[in-house]
Amino acid sequence: MSIPQARLRNFSIIAHIDHGKSTLADRLLEATHAIDPRQMTSQVLDSMDLEREKGITIKARAVRLEYTANDGLVYGLNLIDTPGHVDFSYEVSRSLQACEGAILVVDAAQGIEAQTLANVHLALREGLTIVPVLNKIDLPSAQPDVVMEELESVLAIPREEVILASAKEGIGISEILEAIVARIPAPKGDPSLPLQALVFDSHYDQYKGVIVYVRLAQGTLRDHDRVRLMQSGAEADLLELGFFRPALVPVAEIHAGDVGYVATGLKNVREAQVGDTITSAVSPASEPLPGYQEAKSLVFAGIYPLSGEDYPLLRDAIEKLHLNDASFTYEPESSVALGFGFRCGFLGLLHMEIVQERLEREFNLDLIASAPSVEYQVVMTHGRGSITIDNPAHLPTISEIEAILEPWVLLSVVTPSTYIGPLMELSTNRRGSFIGLEYIDPVRVLMKFELPLAELIVDYFDQLKTRTAGYASMDYEEIGYRAANLVKLDVMVAGEPVDALSMIVHRDKSVAIGRTLAERLKQLIPRQMFEVPIQAAIGSNVIARESVRAMRKNVVAKCYGGDITRKRKLLEKQKEGKRRMKRVGSVEIPQEAFLAMLRTDEN
Amino acid sequence: MRLAAGTLPAIDRARNGTGPAAQSGPAADPTAPGPAADPTAPGPAAHAGPPAHAGPAAQSGPPAHAGPPAQSGPPAHAGPPADPTARGSASEPSLLPAVRPPEALYIHVPFCVSLCPYCDFVVVAGAATRGPRNRVTAFLAALRRELDLRADLADARWGTPGSLSRPPLGSLYFGGGTPSLLPGDEIAGIVEIVRLRFGLASGAEVTVESNPGPDERGDARALADAGVTRISFGAQALDDDTLRSLGRRHRARDVREAITDAREAGIASVSLDLLYDTPGGTLQAWVGTLDSALSLAPDHLSLYALTLDDPDAEGLTGPTGDHLPVARGARRWRADARARQDDDRAAAMYEHAVHRLAEAGFHGYEISNWALPGHESRHNLAYWERRPYEAVGPGAHAFDGAARRWNAARLDSYIAALTSPPGVSAQLPPGGTEAINPEASAAERIILGLRTSHGVSLSESTRQPLSDHFSWARDADLLSVTADDRIVLTTKGRLLSNELFSRLV
Repeated sequence: MSIPQARLRNFSIIAHIDHGKSTLADRLLEATHAIDPRQMTSQVLDSMDLEREKGITIKARAVRLEYTANDGLVYGLNLIDTPGHVDFSYEVSRSLQACEGAILVVDAAQGIEAQTLANVHLALREGLTIVPVLNKIDLPSAQPDVVMEELESVLAIPREEVILASAKEGIGISEILEAIVARIPAPKGDPSLPLQALVFDSHYDQYKGVIVYVRLAQGTLRDHDRVRLMQSGAEADLLELGFFRPALVPVAEIHAGDVGYVATGLKNVREAQVGDTITSAVSPASEPLPGYQEAKSLVFAGIYPLSGEDYPLLRDAIEKLHLNDASFTYEPESSVALGFGFRCGFLGLLHMEIVQERLEREFNLDLIASAPSVEYQVVMTHGRGSITIDNPAHLPTISEIEAILEPWVLLSVVTPSTYIGPLMELSTNRRGSFIGLEYIDPVRVLMKFELPLAELIVDYFDQLKTRTAGYASMDYEEIGYRAANLVKLDVMVAGEPVDALSMIVHRDKSVAIGRTLAERLKQLIPRQMFEVPIQAAIGSNVIARESVRAMRKNVVAKCYGGDITRKRKLLEKQKEGKRRMKRVGSVEIPQEAFLAMLRTDEN
Repeated sequence: MRLAAGTLPAIDRARNGTGPAAQSGPAADPTAPGPAADPTAPGPAAHAGPPAHAGPAAQSGPPAHAGPPAQSGPPAHAGPPADPTARGSASEPSLLPAVRPPEALYIHVPFCVSLCPYCDFVVVAGAATRGPRNRVTAFLAALRRELDLRADLADARWGTPGSLSRPPLGSLYFGGGTPSLLPGDEIAGIVEIVRLRFGLASGAEVTVESNPGPDERGDARALADAGVTRISFGAQALDDDTLRSLGRRHRARDVREAITDAREAGIASVSLDLLYDTPGGTLQAWVGTLDSALSLAPDHLSLYALTLDDPDAEGLTGPTGDHLPVARGARRWRADARARQDDDRAAAMYEHAVHRLAEAGFHGYEISNWALPGHESRHNLAYWERRPYEAVGPGAHAFDGAARRWNAARLDSYIAALTSPPGVSAQLPPGGTEAINPEASAAERIILGLRTSHGVSLSESTRQPLSDHFSWARDADLLSVTADDRIVLTTKGRLLSNELFSRLV
């Protein structure tokens, strides 16, 4: 059904993780009959297994709701879902650019969190209309008055605008739908002008080729049109266009201002990248839309197959996964310890974990990730300019280095004020400097720190949660590079340097980190048939030494009578366990050991 | 090979042909301790025991099922006769005919007075064992039925016992559970059925597992009269505190009494099972335990590191699984005990045992087993040498040279299958089989062979699956080569055997 532009509404839901975004989306789908309640699985939009398991949205989705409002007219509501984790703020901003409005979901018991602030600022920057919703008002611990006060004082949101809701109980859903219709403006754009459709997401479908999600700025898309992607230059005859409801429902035309999907038949996602503009190949627009800044990788790590012969499989897997997630980067690299693999750049640590897990699950691979690193700028001596490295193993020798610069971030933390002390301590221990503090309500504060990104990616988030009983939340943005006294920490296992364990650390903390790393490796590397010395060194100076004692017993002393089958199966299980380890020199090192420094110290 | 002379002519010839040293007989010093000594070399003590079935009870009256053996025709799935061409050349001991008639028989008796929290064997206890609603009688009827059905299959496959292709058994083993709880005449009746339907070689080993408690160990004289030649006592420990902590019912002094009874009854071979690496155990206490054990003058010792596996997690406890689910209390006990085990301590205990028992004239003929010369358990050697063995009773495992077969663990379904109303033929109990492919077979042969002090032939070092691992394992001092070209595990190799074995499967 074609709905006139004046009755279209494009909106996102922005929320802090766990504040109920996915549940609210589920209720909106139900209320508009997009989905049969009997077929309702929870978190319909989070279709990836990983998303359901982790309770987060990783990929943005778009879904079309048709809603008959109180005025009796049918409106087309395009809900563009957004990821809720700090690593994915890049995807959030991309989604928001396709909208005119955003529903801001705030947990009535938890109140404003760091990501709430970050996302609201993103939405305001895009000029979006905000529909504030207090969710979970059915909870006994809900404090709607306090949280409305917060919204008013921190975000200047008048309390009259706030809708009280419980997505779980279905309270406030019709008010939200009416507010979307009444408050969010209809999109603009002339359907008769030459086509300009912004690609805001894409995925690869094995039958239909590359499927892109588009928002039409102007013009009209028609079935079987021949289109051109203005940046890549690729042309294609459209196989299908339509709306996600949330199943794919084909339509004949999509008009300016609307959001939908286009099956291009293109086999390579690089030809239809996010941010590109689709136009007509016959009567093209003169200019592409501004598009997006490329996602910036902040965390880098090597990804290697456990077994060297799987390298070609890993290469194929990475290429295929990249079709679905263009926000990580990859290029081949080799490691003395780990063989051939890829250096990958990620939006953050969670993103890194997700990419690794998807590669393992969706492509059935066993992988090792090296210790993550940030990107450093190294100023060389004798005026030889500067280089950028994202792998500690590539750090030049000390005599060639004039200075090393590292990326810093501005960190925003929202926390109950009782945890101000512990968070000050945590952040200064991480070489951070305190910038300021403001009360967002009588008991909660917004703290700001500047901090080296490298200190943040090492378990800072876990520590933040641990030290505040889970109450604090955080968000960060980059603020450029600063020089620091950094050195490379190398690790030798059984006398062999293991390049994948090298780290760049601050000189003042190098001894402490070296000791911790050696101790953790001692815990993580299982006992072998011989003693395994572990050394941490800076240059030729060994700063920490541990040793994994030789294994003394690994025997099934009992043979289970005549039950040889059970014994053989137990041996096969041990063999499988060994297969999950990487042999470096003569030592079997488990996957976790390479991420030793990311583990939160129990103390 | 300690199977009585003449039982297995063809196989003995094939194996003896493996190398000149295999026939070392008189030259080998059977009392020499240490891994290099050949446990199977016949020595003066080998035939020292009294004749196995000498007791009068052994001939007393007709066997319980006195009717004619079931002659209802060969079962449909009788296996093909052994392929005579598969009989290997003298240099290829592995090429014995794959499927062969059983040389040993295991009978599982699943009753105990009470359950021990660490035990994984198929056991029922309490009211099922004693009292008005006990299941013993029904079990025994079912067991006799299974023996008959298995014997029918063997007859169809190999011919009747005594025929050339069906040598009599060299070993019969009553395991459990606590088979010593069975009345002596029941044991005698079963021995007679076995003698009639499977054949028992002259001098065959007939073992009964026993618990030392006065109300559990049974009447040694009745057992001897039934033809039992060997009693294996589950002593587990020799101090009362440890016994209590392991949930054992007996006390240390019961072990001495039980052994005295057995000796007085004329049991030729007495074995003790002991556990090490138990929670709270120390090396010092273990030294004392071994000294006490030796003071009891057993002929054989099995030393088992307390092994706390989880048959539920291994997927073995389903309706047709060969294990029973672990009770909640036992699960808690195991978790607690596991946390109190220590590999270094266990290794030190093992190393001490190796030295102390060698000093006392015992030969460590297998990773966990030590014997005075001539007292090696022939039954267990059959497992390690991959000789075919039949097995009956819930959870029992059999091997015919090519496939492993097992009965499901649940006693009720075992009894139900084998108990039939008149006119309806009983069925074999539920269970499963697993064909052993050539690779698995080769791996088993090496792994089981290396568990014994006889080891495997040096020629295996150039064959899969050992060829890829021989060098490093020898360099790591896990393997050594004896003067007579056998590959054996060193003491270190025994302690770390899974490091090698897990690479061979």
